[in-house]
Amino acid sequence: MAEPSAGAGAVERALAVLRGRLDARTTAFLNSCVRCGLCADTCHVFLADSESESMPAHKVERVARLFRRYHTLLGRLTPGFVGAQNLDLEALEGLAAAAFGRCTLCGRCALNCSVGLDPSTIIRFARTVLGAAGMVPKGIRANADLALETGNNMGISRENVLETVAWLEQDLRDTLGDPAAAMPIDRYGARVLYAVNPREVKFFPLSLSAAATIFHVAGEDWTLTSTDFDITNYGYFAADAAAARAIAERLIARAEELGVEELVVAECGHGYRALRWEAPEWLGRPLPFKVSSLVEVMAEYVDHGLLRLDPTKNADRITLHDPCNLVRNGGVIEEQRVLLRAGAADFVEMVPNREDNYCCGGGGGMLAASEHAAKRIEAGRIKAEQIRATGAKVVASPCHNCIDQLMELNRFYKLGVEVRTLAEIVADALVLPGQPAP
Amino acid sequence: MSEITIQGRTFAVDEEGFLQKPELWNDEVAKLLATTEGVTEMSPEHWAVVRMIREYYLEHGNAPMIRLLCQRTGINLRTIFKLFPAGPAKGACKVAGLPKPEGCV
Repeated sequence: MAEPSAGAGAVERALAVLRGRLDARTTAFLNSCVRCGLCADTCHVFLADSESESMPAHKVERVARLFRRYHTLLGRLTPGFVGAQNLDLEALEGLAAAAFGRCTLCGRCALNCSVGLDPSTIIRFARTVLGAAGMVPKGIRANADLALETGNNMGISRENVLETVAWLEQDLRDTLGDPAAAMPIDRYGARVLYAVNPREVKFFPLSLSAAATIFHVAGEDWTLTSTDFDITNYGYFAADAAAARAIAERLIARAEELGVEELVVAECGHGYRALRWEAPEWLGRPLPFKVSSLVEVMAEYVDHGLLRLDPTKNADRITLHDPCNLVRNGGVIEEQRVLLRAGAADFVEMVPNREDNYCCGGGGGMLAASEHAAKRIEAGRIKAEQIRATGAKVVASPCHNCIDQLMELNRFYKLGVEVRTLAEIVADALVLPGQPAP
Repeated sequence: MSEITIQGRTFAVDEEGFLQKPELWNDEVAKLLATTEGVTEMSPEHWAVVRMIREYYLEHGNAPMIRLLCQRTGINLRTIFKLFPAGPAKGACKVAGLPKPEGCV
C-alpha cells in the first residue's frame, strides 16, 4: 500500500483545522519546546533507528513550524526568520510519515521533557490535521469506519457473537466439569458488564474463556453483551474526535441500558484509556458506572480471597510488558504485579518497567498501518532486547494490541517465548473450589 | 505494495506479506506462503484449516469465525495455534491467500 493519497482540496481542509481555534494545552505545548533534545533517548523509535526525524523534538518541530506560520505575527510576516513553514502537500506528507510512522503516542518522551510538555498531544493534533486531509493510514481509518458502520471493528454480527459464546460456554462447562458454569449474555441488571476486543471473539477466544473462568470462580454477577461490545477505539488513534466519541458512546449507552454498576474492560490498553479517561471528556459528563480494567478486577478478587492462586502452576519464568495506555497513561501499575507474584513461580521484571517502560512498537494504531510495518518491527527491537535480557519463557501483557506486536517480535527476533494475557495466566493458576489450597 | 520472492516465484503482497491478488492463490502458492509463516511441512491438518478458510472467504468475502473453523474442521483451538504459530489471523489467513483481516491483528 502506498502512502494514503490526499484527494483534491486536501491542503485546504487541513489548513482549516490548522488555522482553527486550538485548545490551550496544545497551543502552550507548541510554543514551549526549546529543542534541548533530552527526549531523544526516551523514544524507542529513535533508539532503534538513530534517525534525527525520529527524535520527539524533531516531530514536534514539524508541527510547530506550521503552527507558527498560521498563528503568530512574525510567522506570517517573516516566516523564514522564525522557522515557519507553509502547509502544502509535501509538508503534509512529511507530517504523515512522522505522526503515524514514527510515533506510537506512547508518551514516554513526556517523562524527560525539560519544560514539561507532552509531545504525544502535539502528534495527536497533527493526526487531526492529517485526518482532515484524508491522510490517516488506510488500516486505521478502515477499522474506525467498520466500527462506526457495524458496531465493532471486525464487523462481527450479533448472531456470530451468540454462537461463539455458546460454543465457549460449552467448553467452559466441560473444562471445569461444572454444568452450572455459564457465560451470561445480554443479562439486564448484572453487576458487571464485561466488554471485549472483537479479536477475542473472532480469532483469539482463549482470553475470553479465561475471563469467564475467573468470573465464574470468583462468583461474580456478570454479563457479556451481543451488541456494542467493542472496547477498541480507532477513532482515538485517528484523532478523529467525532468518531472516537461515537464509538465510545455506543458501549456506554449499552452499559447504561443493561443497568450495570461496573464496566469491566478486557485487556486492551487504548480501550481502557478511551473508556476510563477520555470518554467522560468526549461526552462532557461523568459516566454513571465505574470503569475498570479486568486486571484491576482480578487483583481485587485475589485481594478479597475470592480467587486462590497456586504459583507452581505457572512454573516457567514470566516477564511483564507494561502497555503504555494502561500503565503510563492509564495508572494501572501494580495490579498486574500482584497477580503475577501470586500466580507465577518465577516472575521477573524487565528493565525499565512500570511507567518508565518502553512501548512494544505497535501502539498508537501502528499495528493497523501496514505501510509502516517495517518501521514498527524495527522500532520493536528495543522491546525485544528487554525481553531477551530477562531470560523469560513467557511474556505477559494485559493488552491485545501489544500481544499481537509481541508475537511478531517473538518470531522476527527469535525470542522463543510464549505471549499471553494476564487472564490466561491467572486462569491457569486457579485453585478451583474443592481443590486443596497450595 | 511490495513484493516477495519465495523459491524463485515473485508475488505482490502488502507490507505484512498478505497476497494482494487472492485469485493467484493455489496449493503451490499456499505451500510457498506457509514457509514465510514458519510452517515447513503442510500436514493434512494444515490443509484442512487453510481450505476451510479459503472456501469461506470465496463465499463470504472475509475470514471465518474461529468457532466455525474449529467446528467445521474438527480441529481444536489450541491445535490451530500450534499449526500456525502466528495464529489464525496473521498465520492461517495469510497462507489461505486472504488479504489482512480487519481489526487488531
